[in-house]
Amino acid sequence: MGREVAESCIDGVIIEMVSAYSTRFYSSKPDVAARRIEAIGYQVGHQLSERYTMERPRFADHLEAIKFICKDFWTEVFKKQIDNLKTNHRGTFVLQDNHFRWLTRISLDPAVVANTEAASEGESGADSGAQMTSMLLYFPCGIIRGALTNLGIPCAVSADMSNLPACKFPCDTRQLVVLVF
Amino acid sequence: MIVCVAVVGHQNNPLYLESFTGGDDALKLHHIVHCSLDVIDERVNNPKRSASTLNETFLGLLYPTENYKVYGYLTNTKVKLIMVTTDLDVKDADVRSFFRKFHAAYVDAVSNPFHVPGKKITSNSFSERVGTIVKSFGHSMSL
Repeated sequence: MGREVAESCIDGVIIEMVSAYSTRFYSSKPDVAARRIEAIGYQVGHQLSERYTMERPRFADHLEAIKFICKDFWTEVFKKQIDNLKTNHRGTFVLQDNHFRWLTRISLDPAVVANTEAASEGESGADSGAQMTSMLLYFPCGIIRGALTNLGIPCAVSADMSNLPACKFPCDTRQLVVLVF
Repeated sequence: MIVCVAVVGHQNNPLYLESFTGGDDALKLHHIVHCSLDVIDERVNNPKRSASTLNETFLGLLYPTENYKVYGYLTNTKVKLIMVTTDLDVKDADVRSFFRKFHAAYVDAVSNPFHVPGKKITSNSFSERVGTIVKSFGHSMSL
């Protein structure tokens, strides 16, 4: 691998991109903004998976491809491996990262955090701080989905961040469950 | 000498096809490339070799014709790279290194943010780079 980019620059670009999409371009339509950000991630993941699988043998099954995502792909993109991989053997995989790199330097307004914690078991959990962070996760979701799709596994990826900076990525490949067995 | 190279997408859609003969036999070469797709499918779906070479990206000699030899390479993302050569005495290692360079060029071409995945590769720099790789293959053979 030749050229490298400072991590802080990547952090800055991603945070700025997310804020531009969610507060400037599509401020009234957060779902459209999320879709756009996810689509950017999809293309990035698509291209990265092409590059990172260059020197390795082809994957025999889905689990092998998922393991590649958890180990090598994650190390290349986030500089660490996935901490926990769970599967129900029916096509759903849950990738858990206890220290998700791209969220470690996100600072939340303390008042907002206190609010979120107070309302965690309540109903009004969708306040601005949590929403902002969840917007940030559409990009990595798109990356994972793009990479898996390019490896021949069409899937849906969502992110779950109940306790930051830990992060879970359930990948649902249910469309393909017949093939998995 | 390499007479034709091709990149074929995962749905067998042509992404890049180039012949280097300069003559009007392009159609024949394209036909040869087209035929090789079936051979690749057969190789991948009914592997009969030993387990070590089972999932290698390099598929080796796909089939020889009277004047040509056709080699194939299948990436992890199910993109097929095909090469047709007139050399009858080709070293496996040379073909491998050719495909490695060709694959690297392909990856660089699709990493272009203006390239639409699944569409034909129209980049001039990619064509130039492939041309150089093809020439260097013939050169290393003659040495």
